[in-house]
Amino acid sequence: MSVALTPEMVGQVLISGVLSGALYAMVALGLALIFGVMRVINIAHGPLLMLGAYVTYFLYSRAGLNPFLTVPISMAVLFVVGLLLQRTLVFRVVNAPELSSLLLTFGISIALVNLAQLAFTSDLRAVEYITGSWIVGGLALSKPRFIAFVFATVVTALAFVFLKSTRLGKAIRATSQSREVAMVCGIDVARIHLLTFGLASALAAGGGALLAVIVAIQPEMGGVWTFKSFLVIVLGGAGNYPGALLGGLLLGLVEQLASLFLTTQLSEVVAYVLLVLVLLVRPTGLLGGRQT
Amino acid sequence: MMVKALTACSLALALGLAVVSLPADAQGPIRIGASLSLTGTYAKLGKNQHEGYQLCIKDVNAKGGLLGRKVDLVVYDDQSTPPTAVRLYEKLITEDKVDAVMGPYSSPVSEAAANVTEKYKKVMVAPLAATTSIFKKGRKYIFMVISPAEGYLEGLVDMGAKRGLKTIAVVNEDTLFSKAAAAGAVELAKKRGMQVVYQEAYPKGNTDFSALLTKVRAANPDILAAATYFDDAVALTRQMKELNVNPKMYGVTVGGDLPEFYDTLKQNAEFIYGATQWEHTLPYPGNQEFFDAYKKEFAHEPSYHSAAGYAGCLIYAEAVKRAKSLDADQVRDQLLKLEMKTLFGEYKVDADGFQTAHKMVTFQWQGEKKVTVWPDELAQGKPRFPTPPWTQR
Repeated sequence: MSVALTPEMVGQVLISGVLSGALYAMVALGLALIFGVMRVINIAHGPLLMLGAYVTYFLYSRAGLNPFLTVPISMAVLFVVGLLLQRTLVFRVVNAPELSSLLLTFGISIALVNLAQLAFTSDLRAVEYITGSWIVGGLALSKPRFIAFVFATVVTALAFVFLKSTRLGKAIRATSQSREVAMVCGIDVARIHLLTFGLASALAAGGGALLAVIVAIQPEMGGVWTFKSFLVIVLGGAGNYPGALLGGLLLGLVEQLASLFLTTQLSEVVAYVLLVLVLLVRPTGLLGGRQT
Repeated sequence: MMVKALTACSLALALGLAVVSLPADAQGPIRIGASLSLTGTYAKLGKNQHEGYQLCIKDVNAKGGLLGRKVDLVVYDDQSTPPTAVRLYEKLITEDKVDAVMGPYSSPVSEAAANVTEKYKKVMVAPLAATTSIFKKGRKYIFMVISPAEGYLEGLVDMGAKRGLKTIAVVNEDTLFSKAAAAGAVELAKKRGMQVVYQEAYPKGNTDFSALLTKVRAANPDILAAATYFDDAVALTRQMKELNVNPKMYGVTVGGDLPEFYDTLKQNAEFIYGATQWEHTLPYPGNQEFFDAYKKEFAHEPSYHSAAGYAGCLIYAEAVKRAKSLDADQVRDQLLKLEMKTLFGEYKVDADGFQTAHKMVTFQWQGEKKVTVWPDELAQGKPRFPTPPWTQR
């Protein structure tokens, strides 16, 4: 019952893989930042993405804003939410054993999802702004996914420029390499932690805002993104920022190719088998951990 | 509290009544328990079923309740997951000690919950379980209300075959109901001499269908039959447009009948076929009254899930009335014998509790409305055929 594969089909699926890979990379970069700087695995990363999607939904449906213009707004709102979370809760577990931070962020995640269910109900929402595709040389380029890809690429590039070239960015990388040395060099580590959590939440929100245009929104949409982001950063090397990019693209491509050559059902299995293989061969991830 | 109780007691004495001989309502209300998908993947559908139950209980109480007692509904949220439902039915039966239970939403959840209700010998009318296998495992206390899953795509296949279509692709969510609906479609298509050119399942919660639809496009079927729930039906349709997949007929199973399906997809929902167990326009007894009362109560239109929930609860109530008891075996005997026409259509089951009388209909979205197009005797209009390519709409 399977169909004969043509080069055109493979091309189509490679496009889909790259398009979703860029989104994975952007969202996972947030998780990688928090892990790199604070050694905290943020289970609430996906729910923060969900909140970002709702910000876009409400700005689009209530205020009539172009959903792509809401991306920076959504990121800014969640930046503030991230600051508040770090200021009130997360800072308490930065130096605690890893289990404490897992438990805390797990708790935050459950709270956010349930609050969203109360506030927004669990009805599906959709931003039906742009649909369809451009046909380029026999290949279909999904309009919403392509625009989301462009945004994700730009945001990720800006994040890298920030990390590489600005004083604050360098301070973040220094803290992630060694908290003690950074402190000795006069870096206000608590402030860096605050900024990192804000930035990471903003990256998640950016992903949510872009996803809002692609898929239906509901309070539980974030969960799968926590896992995917986790998969991406372990693939790329936990705490290694370029690794998140590589991991994201890899996951996007592997999922799509597995769906094409095997079945959609097996694509997730393949992604996790790949994870196990990478961990067996290179326990520190493809690009190694923590060298920034 | 204490003072009140004392007052009531002395009042009773003053009136010369013996407190112990108070009538039946001293037993308190009959409590009917259920777990429903109020959040999670099936939330939209589970909530409608919940509202159907609520309205039914309200109406039953308005008519004096059951066996002279008021009826209360005890509902928990199973988050659309079978293991949670199992836990909740255990809790309802063993801790809350409810007098009766009603079924949850969806086949996979009902299948799981049925293991618990059978264990405790509780009758469960399962109004939203459509998979045949649930009722063919020798279970004694579970009863079916809606038409079986295998028939959901029958209208689509039949209309296609009558118009000379030759090939079909079938995709489905990999869960109990959708698998059965897909298998039914494949079998019906083969019977009508169609060639099944492509078939694939996808996991629950899948959001990216590009690779799957790329394969569908390559197979170029006349008909695409998708055994879906709501989220996946929306995502599939969006990506069909993105990838320019153009079958001559495209039909979904569950979810396509909700008003939200059109609200979400807007004009992209046009031409899509859907299957439904019920429409408010069908000439069933009490249907119009139910529709009006429901709209007034919940400020939105009922879906077939609402109507099936309402009907399932009525059927159970009728059986209790006839049995004059809540005893599971006596109610079971009545449910097996019962033949009833409700707002939802006909009810009659075989010795396994499997539904044999109820009928499905197929509709098509035409100009923002669902128009019943199959079967001919219930059709309101003609299907708009063939579906034009996305680029020409």
